[in-house]
Amino acid sequence: MKGRARLGVALVGVVALVSTAAAFASANSAKASAGAAAIKCGTTRTIGMAYPATGPAASIGTAQFAWANYFVKRWNALKANAKQKIAIVQGDTQLGVDTAFAVKVAQAFASNPKVLAVVGPAGSQEVVASTSVLQGAGFGWVSGSASRVSLTDGVTDGVNRQGYFFRTVPNDANQGPTVANYIRLKIKAKSVYIIDDQETYSQGLADSVQAILKAHGLSVTRDSVSQNTTDFSSLIAKIPASTDVIYIPWQLSPRAQAFGQQLKAAGKNITLFGSDGLFDPATWTIAGSYDSFFPIDTNSAAIKAPGAPGPATYFGVPSYAAAQVVVNAVTKACADGTASRDEVRKIIANTNIPANASVLGFKIKFQKNGELRYGGDGVFQIQPDGTYKRVG
Amino acid sequence: MSETTRAQLKGLAGLAVILACWTVYAVYFSPTQGWTFYLQLTVNGIILGSVYALIALGYTMVYGILKLLNFAHGDVFMVGAFIAFGVLTLLGGAYNPAIPAGAGGALIVLCMFAAAMLGSGVLGVTIERFAYRPLRNAPRIAPLISALGVAFFLENSMLLLFGSGFRTYNGFDLISYNGIHLGGANGVFIQYLGLMVIVSSVALMVALIALVRWTQLGRAMRAVSFDREASAMMGIDIDRVIAATFFIGSALAGAAGVMFGLLYSQVYHLMGFFAGLKGFTAAVVGGIGSIPGAMLGGLLVGLVESWAQGYLNGNVADLVVFGILIAVMLIRPRGLFGTPELQKV
Repeated sequence: MKGRARLGVALVGVVALVSTAAAFASANSAKASAGAAAIKCGTTRTIGMAYPATGPAASIGTAQFAWANYFVKRWNALKANAKQKIAIVQGDTQLGVDTAFAVKVAQAFASNPKVLAVVGPAGSQEVVASTSVLQGAGFGWVSGSASRVSLTDGVTDGVNRQGYFFRTVPNDANQGPTVANYIRLKIKAKSVYIIDDQETYSQGLADSVQAILKAHGLSVTRDSVSQNTTDFSSLIAKIPASTDVIYIPWQLSPRAQAFGQQLKAAGKNITLFGSDGLFDPATWTIAGSYDSFFPIDTNSAAIKAPGAPGPATYFGVPSYAAAQVVVNAVTKACADGTASRDEVRKIIANTNIPANASVLGFKIKFQKNGELRYGGDGVFQIQPDGTYKRVG
Repeated sequence: MSETTRAQLKGLAGLAVILACWTVYAVYFSPTQGWTFYLQLTVNGIILGSVYALIALGYTMVYGILKLLNFAHGDVFMVGAFIAFGVLTLLGGAYNPAIPAGAGGALIVLCMFAAAMLGSGVLGVTIERFAYRPLRNAPRIAPLISALGVAFFLENSMLLLFGSGFRTYNGFDLISYNGIHLGGANGVFIQYLGLMVIVSSVALMVALIALVRWTQLGRAMRAVSFDREASAMMGIDIDRVIAATFFIGSALAGAAGVMFGLLYSQVYHLMGFFAGLKGFTAAVVGGIGSIPGAMLGGLLVGLVESWAQGYLNGNVADLVVFGILIAVMLIRPRGLFGTPELQKV
């Protein structure tokens, strides 16, 4: 009896091992062929858009979708595109809640054979989380906001996304120096308090600005809060009233707004400086505060057109550019009636959108690592009426 | 002096010693020394703790009566905050109030409290009637799971109805950014809004104690919490008492929601999760089932969170708070004011 039981267990173990190996092999071969599999394009082509439709970052996600969808509507409205329309499949990544949602969205796109390329996701941590799925599925994906430097250096997080991941925004290596130089040269601050929100995006920017300011002899204090923090009173009590600038490279504008209000309520009139994640005129309205943001050309025809989403949603403008890149690539790939994700991805890498057709104010062209070839961040200041005015 | 009172006094004495040692360390030996910083954090902690205390009271009252951990309580707090936001919006909002300035802000806040407390109270009674009463004689796990289900139901209902965006009370704009300085311009600063929260919480707690101690309903609640069967035999309407308990506990949670929204300005569908957890921690630390314990527990949790954020780091504040929960469970499982369960021999 005992012998038979042992034999039974051994047999089950062998079967399990063989099945796992077979499943792994077939998954790998499925991955390898996922990108190469060509589909018939038809008159409507599909792209995926991963963005935070719900959750604490929903306001920026809604802005991103508004602009990407605006591009698609303009594209579909053209007579020339009557037989090459675009449909968007949406995926809600709930940025700020859990990156597992971004992975689920990536999996949904990967298993939908009609989806040829992806716009998004919004957060750098979401790009990291969903890379293996998106890359494994052969997608080229273009983000209109993920700005962490290491996403494209192929070294820091041990993943090489070259040829797969692209972005229509400058990275934090650009944003950090822009912010630091503005703080020390324009605001002429002597003491700065930096608070990150413990996310990789925030910590990267905070590290960059801190290093530059310290190198130039400014007094810099560093602190951090959780993205879930609502009561900032004790943190605020730590900040000396003599501080010139508080730099908050956060992702969630409602938290920044609450922080600013609680700071004012504590009787401390210190200038706030935010990052691109806080560029949200609908929510972050602390007058006198500064914000660094991606380059956009507010005089471009697309932004000034009557049906365009308003200035309160300018955070989403780079997503318009991202959708433009992806749609152009899908259309070119479908020229012969069929297209594969590999094909679309390679065309994205060779994107060349002229400046007069770009909402970024310059030609959209990518370097080999997926970074924009041109462009740099700007600095905006929140006016008393809540509008954002470019000041640097 | 009863054994219970002696045990409670011992617990309080121990707590006093720990707090005194901590005060000496914080003021004289910590990297950020000084009475001003310590007192500022203490004031912040008392304001925050007042909100937690109100949430904890709901947990403790329901547990005392039904021996049920009402995990939906944090979401009743959330619904209360939303109701108050609705009233604020109807009355013009913080920047364009329908009632003229001056006393206008206070009147609007009173309306918000009234609506939130009434709405949350009714919600609490409804939850009890449909999610818990049918399971009163079921195994203890059943109403617990039902409570979790109600929590998720409320969160997702609010998400569906109102979306995920944050609602902002702009409480400081509604009331005032001003306050009082104790010890000069660089001394301890207490905003008027913070003072209002403390005074309102104390008033509500005093009202609750008075109700429990000096009214017929309060006597009935105490009787039911002591022995439900015997109370029924004595002619007490158990269903009515339990419904009243849920109404009062939920109304207090609604009031806490208004205070939270005024102070921290972030009302959204998930706000009840962490606040509910902290309220639950406060109830357990104070002694689940004990009303004074819930109040003390709430204040303690608020103070610990404030001190941890100030002296350590925002990263570790929650770590410290929940670490204390574990420590209390290990050292004094009944909590500071918990009473031992009597067994008939």
